[in-house]
Amino acid sequence: MKLIARIILIIAVSYLLSMYLPWWILIVISFLVGFAIPGNGINQFIAGFLGGGLLWMTFAWMIDIQTESILSEKIIKLFPFDDPIFLLILAGLIGALAGALGAMSGNSFRQLFMKKKQKSFYS
Amino acid sequence: MKTFRFVFFVSLTIAFGASLNTKIGSIPPLGKLLSPFEGFWQNAEEPGINYLEELSIKGLHSTVKVYYDEMRIPHIYADNEHDLHMVQGYLTARDRLWQMDFFARLVLGRLSEVIDNPAILDFDKMNRRIGLKRMTIEFYEKTKSSPELHAVINAYSDGVNAYIDKMGYGDYPVEFKLMDYEPEDWTPLKTCLAYAMLSNTLSKGESDLENTNALKLFGEDLFNILYPEQLGNLDPVIRKTRKWDFNPIPAVKPDIEFPLITTDATIDKPHPLNGSNNFAVGPSKTKSGNVLLANEPDLELTLPSIWYAYHLNDGNKNVMGVTVPGTPIMLIGFNDSISWGVTNSPRDQVDWYSVEFRDDKRDEYLYNNQWFKTEKKIEEFKLANGKTVYDTIIYTHHGPVVYDRNYKGDNKKRNYAMKWIAHFPSTTFDAMYDINKASNYDQFVNAMKKFQGPPQNFIFGASNGDIALWLPGKFPVKWKEQGKFLMDGSSIDHEWKKFIPFDHYLYDKNPEQGYLTSANQHPVDSIYPYYVYDHNYEYYRGRRINDRLRVLDNMLPKDMMKLQNDNYNYMASESLPMMLSYLDTSRFTTKEWNYFKTLNEWDYFNDPNLKAPSAYQLWWDILYRNTWDEFDTISIEVDRPNKYVTIDRFKNDSSFVFADLLTTSTKESTADLMNITFKNALDSMENWVKIHGEDNSWYKFKNTTVRHLARLDPFSVSEVPVGGYGGIVNAASKGHGPSWRMVVELDPNGTKAWGVYPGSQTGNPGSPLYGHMIENWATANYYELLFGRDISNSDKVIFTQTIEAK
Repeated sequence: MKLIARIILIIAVSYLLSMYLPWWILIVISFLVGFAIPGNGINQFIAGFLGGGLLWMTFAWMIDIQTESILSEKIIKLFPFDDPIFLLILAGLIGALAGALGAMSGNSFRQLFMKKKQKSFYS
Repeated sequence: MKTFRFVFFVSLTIAFGASLNTKIGSIPPLGKLLSPFEGFWQNAEEPGINYLEELSIKGLHSTVKVYYDEMRIPHIYADNEHDLHMVQGYLTARDRLWQMDFFARLVLGRLSEVIDNPAILDFDKMNRRIGLKRMTIEFYEKTKSSPELHAVINAYSDGVNAYIDKMGYGDYPVEFKLMDYEPEDWTPLKTCLAYAMLSNTLSKGESDLENTNALKLFGEDLFNILYPEQLGNLDPVIRKTRKWDFNPIPAVKPDIEFPLITTDATIDKPHPLNGSNNFAVGPSKTKSGNVLLANEPDLELTLPSIWYAYHLNDGNKNVMGVTVPGTPIMLIGFNDSISWGVTNSPRDQVDWYSVEFRDDKRDEYLYNNQWFKTEKKIEEFKLANGKTVYDTIIYTHHGPVVYDRNYKGDNKKRNYAMKWIAHFPSTTFDAMYDINKASNYDQFVNAMKKFQGPPQNFIFGASNGDIALWLPGKFPVKWKEQGKFLMDGSSIDHEWKKFIPFDHYLYDKNPEQGYLTSANQHPVDSIYPYYVYDHNYEYYRGRRINDRLRVLDNMLPKDMMKLQNDNYNYMASESLPMMLSYLDTSRFTTKEWNYFKTLNEWDYFNDPNLKAPSAYQLWWDILYRNTWDEFDTISIEVDRPNKYVTIDRFKNDSSFVFADLLTTSTKESTADLMNITFKNALDSMENWVKIHGEDNSWYKFKNTTVRHLARLDPFSVSEVPVGGYGGIVNAASKGHGPSWRMVVELDPNGTKAWGVYPGSQTGNPGSPLYGHMIENWATANYYELLFGRDISNSDKVIFTQTIEAK
């Protein structure tokens, strides 16, 4: 359940804020979500990876369909691939890694914070 | 452990984010570029019309209406001139901002700030040394003395900035994203970029240093044979029967010698294929009795296109035409009463003076037996890689010392100052501003007085039946060969003394023949009492146009279009029979027979689907290269003789020494050279077919390409199915060609016009309309231009936009 909540949260908040803020806002939001909703490392990673990846790939895919690949067909020729689908995969991958890394960092920050708190409690 | 984990993940995340947010080498910032929220995806446009129906611009005085036609030309209807040009700036920025920014950087020598490449820095240095930046600044300052023009420039600039202010990263043209820099604020100064840009393209051409090298190498006699000033029975811009009844300002060559200093390498020159055609036909030769006028400037074929088209109406002026993005004034076009078009009028506008400095400090230079102070200016280049470099430019009264120990000069003697007419204060924009509003011949001539270059052949037509051809510019009175070679900057005798007065300018009006034409050929024959010289004249297009117009009658606009797209290869008609006559057909193989037959049966039309033009051009190129192969061994910069001279030599010099091939030990005659190069051409064509496929029809072989300005191949269009070639009226060569084809009928009941250009109004490679007119351009399918005092109800309007004052 927490996994799905995290994914939805990352997608929804990132989608809204990305309209106004730079692309790396996705990392910040994944960080905050990773921090706010505790969980183990693998769980966090998957949430960030899927949340960021799905958001970027789906949104890029929608634009590509609406615009009939008018630009992706040209941009792909600047890369060492020929099919615009690679641009969707690449965009998805960057979104996924941004989400995953953000979430992992958030999670590790929380754990750091928890540890300090525990220390002060017991000593 | 947990601290370590935290530090590890955070560092990794920051490294990831930062590296995808920065350009690394030539790889753009991939995070920014590929983000669907702000990356290149945001530049992709949906099919259909994507303009906003309503928008507002801060600073407008009242509401402006913009109507769009099928070509997507904005027809701007404003209540006043300020609003008109402000909206014009806004809309141009919307469609062409990256190109405008690029042009401004080119002219101001600032491309190296955004492109990290030593060759680009060299290019910037050259452009600042030859004075493009300085002339733009001076040109702008001069506009301040013309309040109306200055207001137009300011309004346009404000309009561009109004658009820039509304943009976020996602809205930046995709080139900014790929090259990773931001659009800069626009300025009134940048709005004057067209003057330096066009001067650079049109009036910078010269061969003074190449001529000096050649004179020293070959001696005077051979020099004059290889580079004649006039040759054969040419057809100048001004008809030969024209009489001149004024007393010219005398110019006698003083008793001097040119300093014969050789130069290894010279600065970049404008492309020799830059050129244009224009012609006007008077009432006696047209079916309707209305004047017909045609113009097409043949320039580098680029995307975004060099031209942007508008129809501007402020209730007072009502003008339509094309201009360079970043420029508010129409350079080629028409209004309710007149139409005008331009072709470049080559008239040596650059002279070089050898400068002798007193010592290494270069604070003083020798002039008229005295030491004069130099002026030094330090130019700063803030490079894309963060470094800053400086270049000191030294000025003498002649002009900037372009060649010196820091640039192209490797010995202390090689200091050359550039004297270029474009360096003088100019009112060329005033002239164009007046022409935009002119309604008759007299107003047009008054505007000509203000036109100070780059020299143009102005074709003019009016609804009252007048046609005229004017050759304005600024021309020093020169003695024979003055400025054809490097001159001595210390001698007062080598200098220009006076300028040709306006009353002595070349022009023609309503001649009996009923038509006027120009095509970059010699402006006038030797009867004109002033010395006229240029290193590069056109020899073929003008003669073809005149040949046709002599016989055409009852002309319709479509005849004008047909002539603009005429594919007759005059040069082939004058060279191929001669070339074929030398061939020894008795020992031909079958393949040789076929190649020969293709050529022999050809009617000299470079139509896109014929094979003969490919066969001819390939043979000619090989022949030309092998004729002047002696030049390959020359280490200093020397021009090869032009093709007209080459053909003339073959025909008229029976013991032509350059026919010899250096690669063989035997001595070849012209006949040997023809036979050898014919076989080479056949081999070369077989090779071409192996690589490119069986279809070697002309358009495939020629491969006309409309290239993206930043040379990005995916944004370029190649193998355009167009005929013609350089030297042909339809001057579409590999990378140059008719950049705006316009035909106008000056009907007193309303001007009618047709036009097309190889590109699109939008410069966005993500638009379905990007380059959409290229096919119609290639196939001579003109758009009928929407024009009139009121077009709001026309069924040609596909979209209406309302722009409110904020």
